[in-house]
Amino acid sequence: MREMTEFLGREYEEMEKQGLTWVIKSLNGPSQPHVEVEGKKCIMLASNNYLNLANHPKLREAAIKAIEKYGAGAGSDWSIAGTMDIHMELYKKIAEFKGTEDAVTFQTGFAANAGLIPQLAGKGDLLISDELNHGSIIDGVRLSKAERAVYPHSDMGALEKVLEEANKKDYRRVIILTDGVFSMDGDIAKMDEIHKLAEEYRAMIYVDDAHGEGVLGDGHGIGRHFDLEKEIHFQIGTFSKAFGSFGGMLAGSSDLIKFAYNKSRTWLLSAAFPPHVAAANIAALEVVEKEKDRVKRLWDNTKYFKKEIESLGYDTGNSQTPIVPTIVGDSKKAKQLAEKLYEEGIFALAIVYPMVARDKARIRNQMNADFNREDLDTILNVYEKLGKELKIV
Amino acid sequence: MILTVGFIVNPIAGMGGRVGLKGTDNVVEEAKRKGAKPVSPFKAREAIKEYVEKYNDDIRWVTCSGIMGENILRENGIKSVEVIYNVTSRDTSAKDTKNACKLFVEYPVDLIVFCGGDGTARDITSIVGTRIPILGIPSGVKMHSGVFAINPRIAARVIHEFANHKLTVGDVEIMDLDEEKYRQGEWNIKLFGIAKGIVEPIYVQVGKMSFESIPEDDIKDELAEYIEDEMKDNPEYVYFFGSGSTIDYIARKLGLSNTLLGIDAVYRGKTIAQDLDEKGILDILDRYPKAKLILSPIGAQGFILGRGNLQISPKVIRKIGIDNIIVVATPSKLAATPLIRIDTGDKEIDKLFAMKEQMLVIIGYRLMRVVKIQTNNI
Repeated sequence: MREMTEFLGREYEEMEKQGLTWVIKSLNGPSQPHVEVEGKKCIMLASNNYLNLANHPKLREAAIKAIEKYGAGAGSDWSIAGTMDIHMELYKKIAEFKGTEDAVTFQTGFAANAGLIPQLAGKGDLLISDELNHGSIIDGVRLSKAERAVYPHSDMGALEKVLEEANKKDYRRVIILTDGVFSMDGDIAKMDEIHKLAEEYRAMIYVDDAHGEGVLGDGHGIGRHFDLEKEIHFQIGTFSKAFGSFGGMLAGSSDLIKFAYNKSRTWLLSAAFPPHVAAANIAALEVVEKEKDRVKRLWDNTKYFKKEIESLGYDTGNSQTPIVPTIVGDSKKAKQLAEKLYEEGIFALAIVYPMVARDKARIRNQMNADFNREDLDTILNVYEKLGKELKIV
Repeated sequence: MILTVGFIVNPIAGMGGRVGLKGTDNVVEEAKRKGAKPVSPFKAREAIKEYVEKYNDDIRWVTCSGIMGENILRENGIKSVEVIYNVTSRDTSAKDTKNACKLFVEYPVDLIVFCGGDGTARDITSIVGTRIPILGIPSGVKMHSGVFAINPRIAARVIHEFANHKLTVGDVEIMDLDEEKYRQGEWNIKLFGIAKGIVEPIYVQVGKMSFESIPEDDIKDELAEYIEDEMKDNPEYVYFFGSGSTIDYIARKLGLSNTLLGIDAVYRGKTIAQDLDEKGILDILDRYPKAKLILSPIGAQGFILGRGNLQISPKVIRKIGIDNIIVVATPSKLAATPLIRIDTGDKEIDKLFAMKEQMLVIIGYRLMRVVKIQTNNI
C-alpha cells in the first residue's frame, strides 16, 4: 500500500534511537560571550559571533532606525519591487569593503551557493571542489550539470593533477571552489597556491569566506589576507557570522553581479531582506572598519587560548584561526566532554563521525573578541579538569 | 536482534609462509616436514581476546569443535557457544571448512568470521556464495581477497561495529594464486569470485549533524549511468570492461552480458566479445584502434592492474594508452584501500603510472576523486 505521512514519525524515531537528532538549546537573551542557555548561565564557545557584533549598540541602533523609516518588511522579491535604497546602499558598501567592482546580497550564504554555482557551470564544464567544503557548496555543485572532481583537503598536488587531466579534455570552463576558512578544522585555504594554479591552467576561483570574514585580512576576509581581492572571481560571504547580523553576499565584477541578478534563482525568487537587516549589515561593516581593535582582540584571544590549551596537552589539529578544535578521539568521548562542559557552564559543540574521521571527534571552540582573560582562564581550567577526568590529556 | 556469528579457524592456514611455500594448499605435509608451526590459532586467539576484553557485545557464537573454533571461544570465557560441526580427524582439511559452512548456511548465521588466508576464503565462498557476509582474521600466506581485516585486533573492532550497525555489507572479490599457472612457474593472482564483505557505509549529510547511509548499489547505478554517457559521447571507441564486482554490476545495469572474472569488449552499446585473453584483446585492438579500458580496484589491496587480470598485458596497455584507462570505484572500496595500486610487470609502464602520482577515479555520476597511485617503482 502506498505510504502516507506515517514515515515522518517513523524516520524521526529511527534517528532518535541512533542519537542523531538535533537537540535545540535555546538562548534566553542576546548572543554574546556570556549567555543564558535554557536558564543556565554559560560562556559561549559555539557561536560564529567572533567579533561580538550580534548585540552591538551600533547594529541595534541602525536596525531600529531602519524599522522606523522603512517598516518591518520589504514587501516583495528583490527583483520585482522589494529593493529599497537601503539595499542598494548595502551592495555599494560590500563592494567597497571587499575591494570589488560590485556586490549583491542573498537570503543566506547557502542560498548564494545553491543559486549561483549551477548557473556558473553546466554540461561540458568542470567544477573542482575541496573535500572539506561546506555542504552548501556541495549542494550547489550537485545541482550543476557539470562534471565534478573532488580533491583531498588542501592537497595542492592533487588539485594540480585535476587541472592537468582537465587540460586533456576540452572543458568549456573550469572553476575551483573552496571554503576560505574550513569550519571543522579552522585552517585557511592555500589561496596563494590556488591562485597560481588557476592562472597557470586557466581556471576560475570561487571562495566561500563565511568563517574568514571579520577574521582574516583586518576583517575584510581572505581576499585582503592574500592580497587577491581582484583575482578571486567569485567571493561568497555572510553577515551571519563575524558580522553579527544576517544574510549571504556575493562580491565580484559588475558583470558577475548583473549575471547573478538575472540568473540566480534563489535570488530571483525570494523576498528582499527586511530593511533593518540591510541597515544592521551596513553598520556591521562600518564597525569593523572603525573599531580596528576588535579583530586584534579576537586574534589575541585566539593565540592565548590556543597556546594554553595545547600546553594542557590538547590536540588542536591544523587550526590557524579563531576556530580552535580540541580533538579528543572517538565520538562518544567528544559528546561526553561537550555535556560535561555544559554542566560546568561552557556551551560548546561536539563534532563527531561522520562529520570528521572516526578517531578525530572533537569540540569546536570558537573564540570571541570580547572574551576577557578571566573568561579564557575559566574555560582552560574546566578543560584541564575534564581532560584528566575523561583521560584525554 | 542478537547477531549470530559463525566462527571457523583453519588451523593450518599460514603454515607455509615461514618455510617459503606460497601457501598451505595441498602441501601441509611438506610444510610440517619443513618445521612449520601453526599460525592461525594465535591470530584467532588475539582477535577473540581483544573482542572479549574491549567490546563483548551480546553475540551468539556458532562454531566447529576443538581447534577449529570452539577452544578459542571457550578459553576466552564466551558462554554463548554452540558447536554445530564436529571435527573428526586430527588433521583438518578444506573439506571440514566446507562442511561447516554448509551448516552455517542452514542455521543460518548472520556473519561468518574465519581465521585463514585466501585459500580458506575461497573454500568458504564456494559454499556460501553471496548469501552470508564474511570477515577474515588474517592469518594466511596470501591475503589478496577483500574480506580481510588489516590485523586481528581490527577484526575484533569490525565485528563490534558490524554488530552495532556502524558498518554494512558490500561486494568484495575473492582472489588467490592460480595454482595451475604457479605449477608452470608463473605467479598469477587470479580472481575467483565475489563474496559479501563488511564495508564502510557511504554517508550523505542530511542535516547539520545527521547523515544517511546510501546503499552501495545506488552508487553503482550512478557509475553505470556515467559509463553509459561516456560510451554515448564516444561512439567510435571500443570499451573493454575489466573484471570484478563493480564493473560486473555496471555491465549488467547497462544490459550487457558480462564475464565477472574476465575481460569483455563492448562497441556501440553491444558486447562484441567475451572473456578475452591477451590475444583476443590485441585482435580487437587491431580492428578498432580507438579503445578505452574500464577498471576498478579488485581485492584487498586496491590493485587495478597486475592482480586478477593478467590478460591486460603490458602490450595491451601500451596499445590502449594509459590516458584511456577509466577507473571507477565505490566510496566504500576507496575507504578500504585509499590507494590505487599497479603492478604490470613492465617497468616502463609502471613508471608511467608512477609519474602520474595520482589519478582521477570516478566515484559517482559525473563525480571524480583524486586518488594516489602506488606502483613497484616507488
